[in-house]
Amino acid sequence: MAETKFPNPSFWRYKDHIDWKAQAKNLKEVGGIIGDMLRETDWRAVAARHKKNLTLTGKRIADEAKAFAAMSNDERKDVILNGEKKLGKLYRSGCMATVRREWRGVGDTAYDFYEWLRMWGMFLGTFSKDLVPSLNATLYYRWMISYFCAHSFMDKNTLGQRGSALRMSHLLIYDIFRYVAENLVFLAKCDEKNGNATELNKKVVLFDEMTMGQIMAGFPDLLGIPYQLLPVFLVSEVDQLTCVPYIDAVESFGLPSDTCPVPSSECGAIVTDALPHMGSCFISSSMPCDGSTMASSYMARRFPNLPVFHLTFPVRYEYEETVEDAAEDIKHCIKFIEETTGAKWNWDAYFKQMKRFNLETQYELQKWEVNQTPYPQLIGPCYELFRKWNYEMDGGADPRVIKTFEKVNKIMLEAYEKREEAWRGKMKYRAIVWSCPAHYYANLTNWIANCWGVDVLVEMESLNFTRPLETEDKELALQDLARLYERMVMRRHTNGGYHNVVNELWRQCEIWKVDMILMYQNVACKNMATLQGLLDEQARQKDYKMVWIEHDLMDPRTVSRRAMRDKINEFMYTVMGATPIDESLVDFEDDATW
Amino acid sequence: MRKGREVYHLKDLKHLIYFENLLEEANNELVQQAQAEGKLAIGYTCYHIPEVLLNLGSCFSVRLRAPRTGSIDMATYYMSNYTCEFARALLERSIEGGYNFLDGLAGVDACSMMNRFYEHFELLKLNEKPKMFVSHVDVPFKIEDYTIRQYVKQMKHRLLNYMEDNYHVDTSDAALRKAVEEHNEVCRIISEIGEMRALENPPVTGYEFHILNLVSYTCPKYLILPLLRETLAEIKAREADDKPWYRARVAIVGSEIDDPSLTKMIEEAGAFVVSDRYCYGSTPGREVIELNDTDDVLTQICEHYMRHSECARYIADDKVLQRRETADKLAKKFHADGIIYEQMKFCDYWGFERALVSHIMNEEYGWPVLSIDRPYNARTSGQLRTRFQAFVESLEIKRIHQAKEAASNG
Repeated sequence: MAETKFPNPSFWRYKDHIDWKAQAKNLKEVGGIIGDMLRETDWRAVAARHKKNLTLTGKRIADEAKAFAAMSNDERKDVILNGEKKLGKLYRSGCMATVRREWRGVGDTAYDFYEWLRMWGMFLGTFSKDLVPSLNATLYYRWMISYFCAHSFMDKNTLGQRGSALRMSHLLIYDIFRYVAENLVFLAKCDEKNGNATELNKKVVLFDEMTMGQIMAGFPDLLGIPYQLLPVFLVSEVDQLTCVPYIDAVESFGLPSDTCPVPSSECGAIVTDALPHMGSCFISSSMPCDGSTMASSYMARRFPNLPVFHLTFPVRYEYEETVEDAAEDIKHCIKFIEETTGAKWNWDAYFKQMKRFNLETQYELQKWEVNQTPYPQLIGPCYELFRKWNYEMDGGADPRVIKTFEKVNKIMLEAYEKREEAWRGKMKYRAIVWSCPAHYYANLTNWIANCWGVDVLVEMESLNFTRPLETEDKELALQDLARLYERMVMRRHTNGGYHNVVNELWRQCEIWKVDMILMYQNVACKNMATLQGLLDEQARQKDYKMVWIEHDLMDPRTVSRRAMRDKINEFMYTVMGATPIDESLVDFEDDATW
Repeated sequence: MRKGREVYHLKDLKHLIYFENLLEEANNELVQQAQAEGKLAIGYTCYHIPEVLLNLGSCFSVRLRAPRTGSIDMATYYMSNYTCEFARALLERSIEGGYNFLDGLAGVDACSMMNRFYEHFELLKLNEKPKMFVSHVDVPFKIEDYTIRQYVKQMKHRLLNYMEDNYHVDTSDAALRKAVEEHNEVCRIISEIGEMRALENPPVTGYEFHILNLVSYTCPKYLILPLLRETLAEIKAREADDKPWYRARVAIVGSEIDDPSLTKMIEEAGAFVVSDRYCYGSTPGREVIELNDTDDVLTQICEHYMRHSECARYIADDKVLQRRETADKLAKKFHADGIIYEQMKFCDYWGFERALVSHIMNEEYGWPVLSIDRPYNARTSGQLRTRFQAFVESLEIKRIHQAKEAASNG
C-alpha cells in the first residue's frame, strides 16, 4: 500500500455548514458576558495589581543584575553558557504565568526559542486549515481557551532541561501538540454548533475516555477521535483549573464527590453541555475502572440518537479462556462501525499500521534499556506524556511519529555514548512512579528532578503491553488487539488481580534499580486505595523507601500542588536525609499557575 | 411487634425472633447444624454468582454479611477509608475469624472493591482449611450470545470445576435441576409473601419481609425451608390491623442492603417499604428459574441470572433502561407513593446510577424520589432518620394537595 498522508487530507476539505444566525446570537451572548465582566471589574484593583507586579518585576530585574554582578567570572560564564540554577524565582505568587522564560544558556535558549516558534507556526498552520469554526469554538467552550496555555505547558515540562534531554523533550511534545491542534480543528469543524461539517461527521467515530485508537487502523477512510480527550482529559494537564467547573456541576447534580475525577469531569462536561455535538457513532467502554463504566449512561442520556457500541473486555484478562471472548467483542465492534458508517474493515491497512506500532514499541523498549543503566537519558514529563499518548491514541497511525522515534533514538544513543546526564548536575536518586499521577501536576517529576535530584526513570502508566502484535494471521491479530486493549494505561495494572499492581511494582523496582518509590494516591481511585495496606506492608518488608503523594487527579482544590510538594519535601528531608539541589524550588506558591 | 417504636400492631410472627437471631451471626445456628451434618458452606456476596450453583450436592450457599459491625480499623488499614464499607466490613470480620467456617468463597470480579476483599481474604490467609478455595469469576458487562457463552464458561472453569476438584461435587445436569427445584420453592414462598405487600392493609411489614428474605439467603435451604413454609401459612392466616399502620408507601432501589434495621428505620419514620430492588433484596434474587428440557441447564441458569440482574454494572442500553423500568414497574405494582434511591457510600456503580436516575425517575417517570448515600452500618444515623421523616412528610403533603386538587376539579 502506498503511504497516505496523515490525517487523511480529504478530512480538511469537507464543507462546513455554519449556522451564522446562531453564531451571531452566541456572539451577542458572549459579548454581553464580556460587557458584564468589564462593568463589574474593579479597575482600581486591576491597576494596583499591575503596579505591584511592575514594582516586583523591577525589583526582580535589579536583584538578578546585582546577583550576576556579584558572581565570579567563572560563575558568570557558567550562567551564560549553561543557564540559571534558581528556578523557583520564575514563579510569582498569584500569577498564572511564570515571570519570564527560563535562561538555559546561549545554545539551549536559542534552541528552546526555535521550538517555541516552531510550535506557534504549527498551531497557526493547523488552525488556518479551518480557522472560523475553531475561533467560534473558543466562544462556546471554556476548554478551548485553556489550549492557549500550550506553550506554558511545554515550558514547565522542560524546565531545567539542557542539551540532548531538552531536544528530545521538544521533539516529543511537538508531536503531541500537533495531534492536539489537528483534532481541535476537527472537533470544531464537526461540532453542530460550529463547523457542522455533516459529511465529515459521517466519517467520525468517537471513542470513550482513554479507549485506545488502534481499532481504527482497519478503517483508514474514517476519522477516530477520542471524544473526551481534548475537552477534558488532556486539557486538565495543560491548565490545572479547567475541570473544576465540570466537577462542581456534576456534584451539584448529585454525583458523590468520592468518585474518580476523570469520569466525574466527563459527566460534568456533559451536564454543562461542554462537549461538541458530533460524530456518526460512539464506542463506549467499560475501561479502565468502575467509574468509567458508569459514565457511559450519561453520554447516552445527553446524546440519545448517537449509535453506541459498548466495548467491554474481561476484567480478569490473564485468564486464557477469556481471550477469545475479548476478540469476539472486537469483531462485533468492527461490524458495528461498518454498519454505522458504511466503511469496510481493511486488513492491509490494519497490518501496515500495526507493523509501524510494533516498530515504535521496539524503540520504546530501547529507551527502557538505556534508562535501566546507570546513565538514563530520556526522562521527564514530556517523555511520560508521549509514551501514553503514543500507546493509547496514536498507536502507529501517524507516519510522522515514527520519524520522531528515529530522531529521538539517535539523540538518545549518542547521549548515552557520551554518558550525558539527563538533568545536568541533578542526578542523585533513581525513582519509579507508581499509580496514576495528578493531571494538574503533570510536571511534578520535572520539579522533583530540579529540586531534589530525583530522576523518575519510569512510571507505571508507561509499562504496558510490549509484545509485538500479530500482523499476518487475522484471528490471532484480533486476539492480540484484544490483549493490547485489555492492557491499556491504568487497566493493565489495576485490573485482573492485585498482583498486577503490587507484585509488579517490586519486580519493576528490581529491574530499574530504584532508590525510592513515588506512590501517587489519587484519593478517589478505589482500585488503588484498596491496596494501600498491602503496598505499605510489603514495601516495609522489602525495605523500599516509598512516599505516598495524595492528590485528586483533576481537582487541585482538594490537594494543591504545593501540598504535594510539601509531602515530598518532608520525605526527602526526613527519610532520605537529602538536601535540596535548588532551594528556591522547595517552597513556592503556584495555586493559580497554569 | 415488640421492638422499636410502636409502629406496628400486627401479632408477632412465631419464628421472627429466631430469624432475627440467625441474622446476628454469619456462622449461625443453621449453618453450624448443616456443617455438623457434613455439609460444606460456600460463601458469596454478589448476585452475579448464581446462588443455585452453590447448592449442589453437599454444598450450601451462605450470602455473606457482617452483622453487628463496629470498628473496621484493620480493614481500613488494608483498604483505606475511601472505599466501600461493606467490602471493608467483610474483610474486618474475616480478619476477626468470622468466616473461618467457610469451605469456599465464590467471588466475582464485578466491582473492584469487593474483588479486593476476596483478594485480601486469600492473600492474608484468613481461612486455612486445606481445601478452601476462593474464586475470581469474570462476568460480562452486557448480554449478547457471546457474553452468555463467556459467563457460562467462567462459571464452569472458575467455580464448578473448583467445587468438583476440591469436594467432588456432582455438577451434572440432574444435580443442577435438583438444586433449581429446591431454590424455586424458596423463591415461591418469598415471592408469595412479598406479593402481599401490594395490599392496602398488608399482613406483613417491610421489616419482617426483609428478615425472611435475608434468612433465605444466609441459611442452608433445606433447613430454612420448613420454617419458611410455616411462616407463609402463618402470614396467610394473619389478621391485619384495622387500618394501615403506615403514612406512606415507598419502594427502595439501589445498592447492597443486608441490614434490616435500615428498613426498620424507614418504617419507624412512617413509610411502609413495599419493594426491595437492591442487592440482597428479593428483586433480583427470588425469581423462579424456569428450565426447559432442551437447552443446556447451566446455560439456562446463567442466562436467567444475567437477564434478571439489575446491577448498575451492566453498561448496555437495554439493561440501563431495564433498571429504570423495573424500578417504575415495582413502584406501580406495589402502589408506592415514592422511591428511595440509595447507595452504599463509596460505591462507584451506584454513585453514578443514583445521581442520574434519581433525576430521571422524578422528571420522566413522575415519582417523588429521595436520593441518599449511606454507611454500611446505618442504624445509628440520625441524619438518615431525619431525611426519611422529611420524605414521608413530603409524600403526605403531596397526597393532601392531590386530594384537594381532585376535589376542586369536581
